[in-house]
Amino acid sequence: MKFKLATAFLVIAFLFTACGEKTDVVDSGTYRGTVDKVEPSKTEIYVKTSDNKTLELYFTENTTLTRNGETVEFSNLEEGQQVEVDVEKSGKRLDPIAVRILN
Amino acid sequence: MEQIPDFWRTEVLHPLFVHFPIALLLMATVFKIATLWVKGKFLDLPGTILLVIGTLGGWLAIYTGDLADGAVSRTICDPTVLKAHENNGYIMIWLFTAAVIIDIFYQFNFSKFKVYLAKGVLILLMITGSGYLAYVGHLGARLVYQQAAGVYIPTTNCAEFN
Repeated sequence: MKFKLATAFLVIAFLFTACGEKTDVVDSGTYRGTVDKVEPSKTEIYVKTSDNKTLELYFTENTTLTRNGETVEFSNLEEGQQVEVDVEKSGKRLDPIAVRILN
Repeated sequence: MEQIPDFWRTEVLHPLFVHFPIALLLMATVFKIATLWVKGKFLDLPGTILLVIGTLGGWLAIYTGDLADGAVSRTICDPTVLKAHENNGYIMIWLFTAAVIIDIFYQFNFSKFKVYLAKGVLILLMITGSGYLAYVGHLGARLVYQQAAGVYIPTTNCAEFN
């Protein structure tokens, strides 16, 4: 019984550990990917790149958001959209300089 | 000239709320461990009350932390520490929430065997939760003392305080 109890506890502990979001830090540059999550209240998006990295991007007052070359509102961003992002790495923080909606 | 920011900023709510659940949940864990040696409800019931209030306070701390996240993420230099603080905070609060559920069932008298089982799982969850609580607190301290998360840094000549 003690063994079963310990096993159950370890499984629960593993599930708790596995439930957190993991994000990655990349170098400054341009990346393409899919919008994985949009948080309008924080003007924040998560972008999953083709090499399976997740970029957590908080829009700043200097971030531009465009679609077909035209500036659009943050509310135009939706999960599943293809985007191209120019990011600048400051320390380990990624500042989005430009976000272009591709579809 | 630089202006001193308002004290009641969104990111200040989080430190106002986190310290009570830290104390309550750690004390709840100590009380519940002590019930292994001290029989009766003398420590058990206060432990439950501390656990329930501490967990509710913990969820409030999670909520205010989420509000603070939006404000400080654009200024700190290493958001990976913030992400670890957030993720481990969720693990911690779910461990204590699970402990609350087990403890409430435990207070309603299982059969003798299940009481023994419930108490073992309860204390194991609370000890693990306390470990996570300590680690989350450490990460929170790193955010404040290494990266000045949510902290106003005065100008070098302190002119705004004149």
